[in-house]
Amino acid sequence: MTVVPETVPSREAGRVRSMVELYLATMRLAITEQFQYRTANYFYMFGMIAEPIIYLVVWTTIADQQGGSVNGLSAGYFAAYFIVWTLVRNMNIVFGAPFWEQRIREGELNRDLLRPVLPLHYDIAYFAGWKVVVIVLWIPLAIGLSLLFDPTLSPNAQQIAAFAIAIWGAYLLRTMFQESLGMLCFWTTRGAAIFDLWMTIELLLSGRLVPMPLMPDWVQELARFLPFQWAFYFPIEALVGDLSNTELLRGLLAQVLWILIGLAIFRVAWRSAIRHYSAVGG
Amino acid sequence: MRDEHVSEPAVRVASLLKVFDVPEREAGLVAATKGLLRRKTREVRAVDEISFAIEPGEVVGFLGPNGAGKTTTLKMLSGLLYPTGGEARVLGFVPSKRQRGFLSRITLVMGNRNQLQWDLPALDSYELNRAIYRIPREQFTPLRDELIELLEIGDLVRKPVRQLSLGERMKAEIVGALLHRPQVLFLDEPTIGLDVTMQKRIRAFVADYNARFGATVLLTSHYMADVEALCKRVVVVHHGRILYDGPLAGLADQFAAYKTIGVAVGNGNADLSRYGEVIHREGDWITLRVSKAETSSITARLLSEEEVLDLNVEDPPIEDVIELVFAQERPE
Amino acid sequence: MNALRVSWLYFKLGVLNELQYRVNFFVSLFQAAIALVTGLVVLSLVYSHTSELNGWTQPELLCVLGIQILMGGLIRTSIQPNMTRLIEDVQQGKLDYALTKPEDAQVLVSVREVRVWQAVDVVSGLIVLAVGLSRISTDVGATDAVAFAVALVLGIVLIYCFWLVIATVAFWVVNMWATVELFDGVFQTGRWPVGIYPPWLRVSVTFLVPIAFAVTVPAEALTSRLDWETLAFAFVFAVVTFVATRRFWRFGLRRYSGASA
Repeated sequence: MTVVPETVPSREAGRVRSMVELYLATMRLAITEQFQYRTANYFYMFGMIAEPIIYLVVWTTIADQQGGSVNGLSAGYFAAYFIVWTLVRNMNIVFGAPFWEQRIREGELNRDLLRPVLPLHYDIAYFAGWKVVVIVLWIPLAIGLSLLFDPTLSPNAQQIAAFAIAIWGAYLLRTMFQESLGMLCFWTTRGAAIFDLWMTIELLLSGRLVPMPLMPDWVQELARFLPFQWAFYFPIEALVGDLSNTELLRGLLAQVLWILIGLAIFRVAWRSAIRHYSAVGG
Repeated sequence: MRDEHVSEPAVRVASLLKVFDVPEREAGLVAATKGLLRRKTREVRAVDEISFAIEPGEVVGFLGPNGAGKTTTLKMLSGLLYPTGGEARVLGFVPSKRQRGFLSRITLVMGNRNQLQWDLPALDSYELNRAIYRIPREQFTPLRDELIELLEIGDLVRKPVRQLSLGERMKAEIVGALLHRPQVLFLDEPTIGLDVTMQKRIRAFVADYNARFGATVLLTSHYMADVEALCKRVVVVHHGRILYDGPLAGLADQFAAYKTIGVAVGNGNADLSRYGEVIHREGDWITLRVSKAETSSITARLLSEEEVLDLNVEDPPIEDVIELVFAQERPE
Repeated sequence: MNALRVSWLYFKLGVLNELQYRVNFFVSLFQAAIALVTGLVVLSLVYSHTSELNGWTQPELLCVLGIQILMGGLIRTSIQPNMTRLIEDVQQGKLDYALTKPEDAQVLVSVREVRVWQAVDVVSGLIVLAVGLSRISTDVGATDAVAFAVALVLGIVLIYCFWLVIATVAFWVVNMWATVELFDGVFQTGRWPVGIYPPWLRVSVTFLVPIAFAVTVPAEALTSRLDWETLAFAFVFAVVTFVATRRFWRFGLRRYSGASA
């Protein structure tokens, strides 16, 4: 005698609720831990701001030399771009491919597989919690940088909202692709080379080196069909640039699209990776 | 260089004290945020004003449970830690000054830490030690070969250290540690994690080395067997204090208030519980635990009242005594 | 001095170690290539929008890039692996063996590790430097070359001191996992002549993290921009910093011996 109609909805609801609880618990753990290591986190962030400051200085110098702007982008724009860059760069740091190599090598994977939840959830949740700490630590940093570099920043409400959503979209997007890339570690120990290659392409096509409009035309064309700039250039531009509401919406949708593509790739890759792992014996 | 008088102890420790400030924190977000503003610390007396002296050539075992303070003491004697109070002298030197003359005469071997190069044969690491300790080649090569032979690792010293088993690695480590012919050996849990045969091998070697070269050996361990095999003198440490310092045999006398009587009786089912606590029964053999004071009277009664085929009076096994000692609560 | 003999032995052992892992060579090669490509891309991007940066022409900036890569290679071959290992040892309490040897502890912890394959960056940097030099209209004189060599040595000394100070800080702030990222990030400032940075940054990358002395000053020597006062100052600064660093190291060592369990 089946009692299914009553139990199925609550089972689903129960599963969602327990997932939410897992996420919250993991995030809380991450926040506590990372707050403890705030000195190390600050060190890391300081090391990271050197990169954008350098680009900032170089491009504002060029802008000043060229009479105020480069390709229509003013010095103030560059300042704003690279200050927001520091946050977006951090949101882009996810549980990446090198971690997978370590996970497998050190045998942690065996332990993680025994948990009744996909490691993916734990990774996303933990880093999400960490990001909360990062955002909190970033604010004084951004204020300091703004005082030093005089950015032009005057976003309206929609832009701020889009930005707030877009940075988390960027986080998820990059997570999906990096986790998928990590699956390669199941087949090869030379994963490092592939990641480096991917990272270099990403570096050139994401808006990390320079705002996309400064890249040669063919590069900009190419970047439109790739996910990279939606995780980096788009969130920054949402806050710093002059995007219309339609463009903001289109950008967010592009993020969603790429997240779903990345997720699909990941599921396929994960399934075959686990099959391979179980067959080979780990 | 300093010359030691024969009557001068190799190691002398007086009221040695080591206090650590350990941060205290509870779990949870709230406590973590509070921890930002104020750090609570707790004082831990790892070594609580101990005193002892060791003569040259002695082999002394420091016995104690984890956290007793033995490794901390060893670290203070090898110069790794500054004492909080009191005085320590090894071969006349103050260890924490870490003078070259001092460091050249001691050696430290830690059971769970390697100092040999991981990916290279042990022989390469030995060359490195030769340079560091400035051992002349004429002195170095024969000693090295002798040690390798004594520990039977001749064919192992050419293989990368990572390919050796745990026990083989330990033997190679020991050779490396003795190349400069130190006068004082600090051995911190040297047999930890090794199989029984290897443990015996290493104990035999240390005893042999001590007999041959007259080096002073300080050994810490929580393996009773190490101490039993090597040390005539044992120092029992617990909660940073010395509970006992003297011959191993005397340990039972001081701490165990009981003895065991093993008796084989003709009637295998006899109930001997009125003589003492029956702690073991195997075939015809029954083991009783009785208080020390009553041992002779109970033995006499057994002999007269029961049909005794064989009788044995023993001190309790050392492990049990140690367990009793360690179980003592920290005196307040 | 015995310290030199010990250092040489460690170097030999380091090479022996690394030769076993041939694959590391190809990985280093690959990474060097990537770093080079990225650097060149940025450089060409910049020069697609302007003809000179703060008075430095493109071939001159190529020289700066070459020196930065070369220095980076030297740092990653010896200084960085030793210092990161030192930090790790301090965190895990594994410094004991280094401290019970009768050789100066600072020497031991500074020469124990060698990453020979990182030397591909040294080669790569030299090539870039050579290309840049060949494109400069003026020739490099003998005095310039000597000044360059001296400046390079002073730069290495200062970077070493900087790293040792950071590693010594680990005696107090035990969790320092991000030091390499921090340094690499700041070291990127060496890609460009420090004159372009705003004053507060220029001072930071001169005295706080001596990038200017590691890259810009040698570059200035090579492009005939260096005056001997700057070089003399660099010399004095290096000596003072070296002495102060040693003092700080010994202070940290005492603290380590008082604080570990």
